Amino acid sequence: MAFAVLAVLRRTCASLTGAMGFIVVALVAILAVFAPLIAMHDPDRLDVLNRFAAPSAEHWLGTDHLGRDLCSRLVHGARVAMGVAVTAIAIAMAVGTMLGILAAYITAQAERVVLIVFDVISSFPSLVLALAVVAVFGPSTLIVVVIVTVTLIPHFGRVARAQVLALRSAPFLEAERILGASGTRMVFSHIVPNILGPLLVLASMDIPVVITIEAGLSFLGLGVRPPLASWGTLIQDGYQFLSDSWIPVLVSSAALAVATLGFTLFGEALRDAVDPRLYREH
Amino acid sequence: MTAVLISQTPAGARELKQREGQPLVAVRDLTLEASTARGTVHILRGIDLDIGRGRILGVVGESGSGKSSLASCLLRLLPANISRLSGKIVFDGTDLLSLEEAAMNRFRGLRIAMIFQDPMTALNPLFTVGTHLVDVVRRRNPSLSRQAALARAKIALESVGLSDAELRLRAYPHELSGGMRQRVMIAMALLVEPDLLVADEPTTALDATVEAQIVALFQGLRRDFSGSVVFISHQLGLVAQLCDDLCVMYGGTIVETGPVGEVLSRPRHPYTRALVACEIEDQAHGERLVSIPGEVLDPVVPLTDCVFAPRCQHTTELCRSAVPRLRSVGPGREVACLRVEELA
Amino acid sequence: MPAARMMNSETARYLASRLVTTVLIVFGAMLLLFTLTTLVPGDPAATLLGPQATPELARRFVHDMGLDQPLHVRLWRFFAAVLAGNLGVDVISGRSVVSIIAAVMPYTLILTFSAIGLAVATGLPLGIYAATHRGSVMDNVLAFVSVAFIAVPSFVIAIFLLLIFAIWLGWLPVLGTSRSGAFLDEFKRMILPTVALAAGWIGFIARLVRASMLEVMGEPYIRTARAYGLSERIVTYKYALKNACIPTLAILGLGIGRLLGGAVLVEIVFARPGIGRLLYDAIAERNYPVVQGTVLVTVILFVLVNLLVDLSYSAIDPRIRREAISSAKAA
Repeated sequence: MAFAVLAVLRRTCASLTGAMGFIVVALVAILAVFAPLIAMHDPDRLDVLNRFAAPSAEHWLGTDHLGRDLCSRLVHGARVAMGVAVTAIAIAMAVGTMLGILAAYITAQAERVVLIVFDVISSFPSLVLALAVVAVFGPSTLIVVVIVTVTLIPHFGRVARAQVLALRSAPFLEAERILGASGTRMVFSHIVPNILGPLLVLASMDIPVVITIEAGLSFLGLGVRPPLASWGTLIQDGYQFLSDSWIPVLVSSAALAVATLGFTLFGEALRDAVDPRLYREH
Repeated sequence: MTAVLISQTPAGARELKQREGQPLVAVRDLTLEASTARGTVHILRGIDLDIGRGRILGVVGESGSGKSSLASCLLRLLPANISRLSGKIVFDGTDLLSLEEAAMNRFRGLRIAMIFQDPMTALNPLFTVGTHLVDVVRRRNPSLSRQAALARAKIALESVGLSDAELRLRAYPHELSGGMRQRVMIAMALLVEPDLLVADEPTTALDATVEAQIVALFQGLRRDFSGSVVFISHQLGLVAQLCDDLCVMYGGTIVETGPVGEVLSRPRHPYTRALVACEIEDQAHGERLVSIPGEVLDPVVPLTDCVFAPRCQHTTELCRSAVPRLRSVGPGREVACLRVEELA
Repeated sequence: MPAARMMNSETARYLASRLVTTVLIVFGAMLLLFTLTTLVPGDPAATLLGPQATPELARRFVHDMGLDQPLHVRLWRFFAAVLAGNLGVDVISGRSVVSIIAAVMPYTLILTFSAIGLAVATGLPLGIYAATHRGSVMDNVLAFVSVAFIAVPSFVIAIFLLLIFAIWLGWLPVLGTSRSGAFLDEFKRMILPTVALAAGWIGFIARLVRASMLEVMGEPYIRTARAYGLSERIVTYKYALKNACIPTLAILGLGIGRLLGGAVLVEIVFARPGIGRLLYDAIAERNYPVVQGTVLVTVILFVLVNLLVDLSYSAIDPRIRREAISSAKAA
């Protein structure tokens, strides 16, 4: 299993864009996990006398409108971005996969209902939906995670269902059934491992989508609440004080741009590497 | 049909007389190789072939013999992985292989036309039959209006036996049956008024009853079409019915050529003999079907001896020592076998 | 045009099912919005009216809005009102929500249509070029740039454009719409927002067109066209392009949601009036009828556009491969 993962990673990094994407992903992941250790300063420490300081040895990227160290805030922003993304995607994948597998096994009528619900959810422009909910409940990190999760469930549900349908006629499953394997055992021991590949690829390709939605909402001030500061919040802060200094908005925008681009490049290279056509080389 | 036009000028008539004796197409040492994951594939290995003016040449061979590739070479429509294309294809005095792409394109759809094997995929599903035909007509006569082009298309459809031609012109390919679609393709080729018509297994994708109709159509063509035809097939019976000359291909080489009646009644090459013997109709009831043991030579292997040697019943040391070239064994008869005299 | 042929029973059934799904989605949206408003925490009157709410005012308000009625009655009245075209009243200004939305809608529509127009006008030729010059340096550069435009959120692109062209280079005016109303001024102010919004789509379309064209160019019917010596121009632009449009259109509909979200943010970055700004301000003011109305209108627009995109297949493909479309969407 580990060998297969390594082989896939190697193929992903074989292309230039895949390698670039992988570097960004690794970088962001490290920043996210080790933020407190890596950041040079406390991201929330105010130093109003020192606002809009230019980049220096002390503050690598300068300070924002309240004198806080931009670099440290960026590093902690990675933590927020990854936190929201990983949580939302993990839950959506779990729930969506279960629903998808279920849909493949229940009656045709019930399946159609599930599919229609999927259709309705995915027909909503996610940002607008998020705004509607935020309008009612007020902004909070939890809301962002919940909305993103709900939006992603149909993604995983559809792919899981398609995979299960394709797998159902596989001979080895027939053999298991004949040998009397119970339903749950079949699902967990056999089906899930086999559909995991495409689902993980989908997950990796959804990370930049989640980061984008979260950043967009935070940019509007409707996402994560202080003291948490996501890149979106930083961009908004920088944008507000554009006339004082364009450095804050530039670096935070650049961080978001690089992260989304990197994750997308990695996701696409991963998808190409996992493509079933390439499996035959194993 | 084109011959009529050229002869209308005195100079043209003189030139025509000069060229009448020569074949329309003379293929010399045509070699085609492609690079694949497994290495270099030898698709055609030094083909020599003549296509007579106004004659119908049948090309038979099993799948993998290179007959479809030969057709592609005549039109110079080859896939991207071709690594070598050498030799000569002299079409009415011009070597097609030496031409630039733009010059080559002036032959396609003007002097050479092709009928493809599967008419369903060969026609664009989003365009009507009329559009397909009009585009072909207007390529040939750019000055024609769409109406005039449609009129010609209508006549062409009627000439291939399609009733309700008006209706067919407005139809999309998926609305027609397989036989009708193939008739459309034939009509399309005839609209070009080509000097050379290449038919690449035109009946293979059709079922038996429809095949018979198309064969009848081709027989009518024999009467009415004055250009040359190359009819590619894996069925000896079809070729026997429709063609004047026959060319037998095996493993990327030509093993025997000659007038169809003679080749089929007195085959000289062991492969041709085996093919003729395989024809099911000739088999006496109750006897085992004849088949040729062994497999076709792997195209990745370069040729050092007779390509048929591994499967031939008459193989000797001689056969494994050199590559047999086509040799004349009678008027218009050529055979590529080192032992042809002995095996007569 | 053979219009009569298009309306065969297969087509009719497909259209009917799409219509049903569309209606279901709109109803689902309305249901969702209604549920949300009933879930507003705290006393609805106090929240909706804000600090000016005296007990007397609150009681009258609750009665006027029918908030004291049982849930199913409220639901029914909500649906009836929406279907009658009444989206409620702005709690602050008293104007009807419909009129408020109608006032700002043109701005958003102009921006969105300009963006789509720009995206198609740019993305389509780029995609065709990439397909016909496969493997060239330009093709690789375009591939990377396309991904960059798709991956990076449109508001980030908007900010970069703002920084580069308005702040550093000072070529274009910065924020808002024209005060003078002069066409040239208005036009200049539209350039950056339109480009920012279009960027993601340019990348999307270019990639899609390239992939579809490459697939189509390998098809047998293109070989036939070449065999008959038809010019490269006809083969590429008349035949291949038409065939490539179908898978392109199928996937295109998926990007509309992004476009809408992007429009909201781009309007905010460039301080332009429009549905996005309206929604944002209404949320800040807790102006629920406006929020509700705006979201509903947006969703309906979104769904209608999707329907239109799906319907456009029948104009192009006489066979309507429904399975191909739905499987393309599932992918």
